[in-house]
Amino acid sequence: MMGRDRQVAGGIRRRMVVAAAMMMTAAAAVGVLPLSAGNAAAQEARKGGTLSIILQPEPVTLTPSTNMAQPTQVVAGNIFDGLVAYDFDLKPKPALAERWEVAPDGLTITFHLRSGVKWHDGKPFSAADVKWSLENIWKTIHPRNKSLFENVTQVDTPDDSTVILRLSKPSLPILSVLNGVGAPILPKHLYEGTDILNNPYNNKPVGTGPFVFKEWKRGEYVELARNPDYWEAGKPYLDRLLFRIIPDAAARAAAIEKGEIQYAPYNPVPFRDAERLSKLPRLKVDTRGYEWLSPLLYLDFNVENQYLKDVRVRRAIAHAIDRAALAKIVWFGYAKPAISPVPSSLVTFHNTKLPQYPFDVKKAEALLDEAGFKRDANGVRFTLTHDFLPYGDDYRRTGEFLKQALKRVGIEVTIRSQDSAAFIKRVYVDRDFDFAISYNNAFPDPQIGVVRAFWSGWLGTGTPWTNGSGYRNARADALIQEAGVEGDPAKRIAEFNEFQDIVLGDVPSLPLLELNFFSVYSADLQGIVEQGDQVYSSLKNARFVDAPKAN
Amino acid sequence: MARTDTASLPPTRTDFRDRAVGRLLRRPSALVGLILLAGILAMAAFADVAFPGDPLDMAGSPLLRPGDAAEFPLGTDMMGRDLASGIFHGARVSLLIGGVAALVSLVIGIGIGALSGYYGGRVDRALMRVTELFQTIPPFLFTLALVAILQPSIATITTAIGITSWSGLARLVRAEVLRLRNSELAQASIILGASDARIIFLHILPNALAPVIVSASILVATAILTESSLSFLGLGDPNVVSWGGMVGAGRETIRTDPHVAAIPGVAIVIAVLALNLLGDGLNDVLNGKGERR
Repeated sequence: MMGRDRQVAGGIRRRMVVAAAMMMTAAAAVGVLPLSAGNAAAQEARKGGTLSIILQPEPVTLTPSTNMAQPTQVVAGNIFDGLVAYDFDLKPKPALAERWEVAPDGLTITFHLRSGVKWHDGKPFSAADVKWSLENIWKTIHPRNKSLFENVTQVDTPDDSTVILRLSKPSLPILSVLNGVGAPILPKHLYEGTDILNNPYNNKPVGTGPFVFKEWKRGEYVELARNPDYWEAGKPYLDRLLFRIIPDAAARAAAIEKGEIQYAPYNPVPFRDAERLSKLPRLKVDTRGYEWLSPLLYLDFNVENQYLKDVRVRRAIAHAIDRAALAKIVWFGYAKPAISPVPSSLVTFHNTKLPQYPFDVKKAEALLDEAGFKRDANGVRFTLTHDFLPYGDDYRRTGEFLKQALKRVGIEVTIRSQDSAAFIKRVYVDRDFDFAISYNNAFPDPQIGVVRAFWSGWLGTGTPWTNGSGYRNARADALIQEAGVEGDPAKRIAEFNEFQDIVLGDVPSLPLLELNFFSVYSADLQGIVEQGDQVYSSLKNARFVDAPKAN
Repeated sequence: MARTDTASLPPTRTDFRDRAVGRLLRRPSALVGLILLAGILAMAAFADVAFPGDPLDMAGSPLLRPGDAAEFPLGTDMMGRDLASGIFHGARVSLLIGGVAALVSLVIGIGIGALSGYYGGRVDRALMRVTELFQTIPPFLFTLALVAILQPSIATITTAIGITSWSGLARLVRAEVLRLRNSELAQASIILGASDARIIFLHILPNALAPVIVSASILVATAILTESSLSFLGLGDPNVVSWGGMVGAGRETIRTDPHVAAIPGVAIVIAVLALNLLGDGLNDVLNGKGERR
């Protein structure tokens, strides 16, 4: 498989979906305006119909308990409801939990569940399912949640609709991962006492969500049908979801253009094609719905490198890179310059008052001179080798862009390409690199996706997508640990602000771009992007409108 | 060709060479091949004069079409790199890889083929099993695997192509050597006590050269194509510009800006065509079919 036929895995476990790469791109501002209220009212929503969706690549399983790959979660979000969903500002909003309370000390979290909810097999959903899932999945085998839930010492279920989490230390980021794929609730009656990883229901999932699993024809499609007993009256609108597996990017573009596919999430086509498709009146290209992921492209400097150990060199490189041009040229505008390791979509935590590195070649040269690395007769100060995340041509071109940018300030760059296994080993295990680009999903709380790139506790563990630079700062470590168990939201914000200030000053890892994934969908559709975790959530609000078809 | 002067004398090697070149030049297809190849060589030689500066520089605005801007006659790619400059500088890389890979392959192929054919017996059986091993693995996949393991750079790509493309040549040389080993010339040399090396290098290989020269031109063409395919799949050397790499970089925009992939694609077609035409011509001439019409 090559090039564009790849997709991004959602989440930390990107390595599972090497393929993913191409799909991540995203669009800063490509103009998808939400339908205005008046417009929406004028167009009568139509019930029923089949929505055909691109699923790429084919998932390995349909249950998001251990597999964090993007295609699994795209399907599963329709089958499994979570305790909450997230709005565009990443604030939780009720789903299976109608309301919740966090005790002032942060040591107790109480969820009040919706009553009358049924599993797709007709059995009632209850607090016992949540307790079982927390104890057997979130705390144990879910790759992203283990550390967030490890302080949960006890789960009480005083009645069928109340779940009380008792913690030894506060863990506020829990509230940021409680959607259907972040903390999947599986039916206890089908899983208890079985081998969870090999349970046959992993591939014919039973959830509580708006769509019921019908059939998975390998290599062709996954079919879901409307859940007539869904707890939200009248929803979902659509009768059927057909997730079609189309491995070839050109075929995907054609299917979207012909209207065979009406919804295609996760960068289904190359950027340039997206630009073309966005001009068709029948289609929309939308970058919303990925806020919950908040992917960040960054440059890890190996702080043990003889040149890069000098902070002036790292700052000079930061000044030498025109991030706006990088976003525009390499990422076709589907990205915006990042000014902090905490992406701006994490509104609560994103700090705008930080050391900045505006594009300034003169300053970069001055810093390099000051560090004692003068240009030689050929105008070269020193040579570095660059490794790019081998997730597709966008990353390779980013490397090529950096090479040219640094050449201007006298740093000669040799680009080295390798497969993703070799990349991970080189950067995170052997630490045999100079500087490398990679990306992380930040998720709504810096604790989940951001601090892992800076915490020295990860050093020596060889864990991919953790502290690649080899950075050690006692104060930053302390802040990370304090914020991890801080029960007061305001204090956490202050801690993360200071953390951002320190790591951006030391700049062991330079935030480059906030990437924007994009979805392409038919203009006949309404309600397709309604929340910040939309792509991992359900299409219960999606409906066709009786609009005359243009072009 | 004036043959009257030499008709009475036995033909010397120089005569043969002159006649071969003459015959080659009289074949239109070979002539076209030669001219095209000369053109490509000239592009490679004068790249720095015609397009000074780094061909990887983002020199203009991205995705200009040919003719959009006078300073970029062939347009620019999605990074704003000058395609014309890329074509000229890429000629160097493509020819270098083609030439060196063919050389590697020639050395291995001739070496194994000659040893195998000359010594026969156990040596032959052992070497031919090795050759068969290489023949049974699809060469492109083999190259792909080698490059992926060794990590792509000009050196590894060239070596990998050389290592995976000698097996046919080895068999060809072996057959020739087998034939010549039993010729009177070789037998006489053996009786006269000449060393094996002397016999192989002075008597056998020069006479087996014709098919080798022909395959060499095809090997160069194949190597250029293989490098292009590798680059297309993202396994090229990102630090240099090659035609295949340019095609690979352009494939994403093939629906909207086909010229980015098409222009280097045409360059590859021309180079491969030139080498093949030349190979065909050489084949006809060296195998004595030149006089047939």
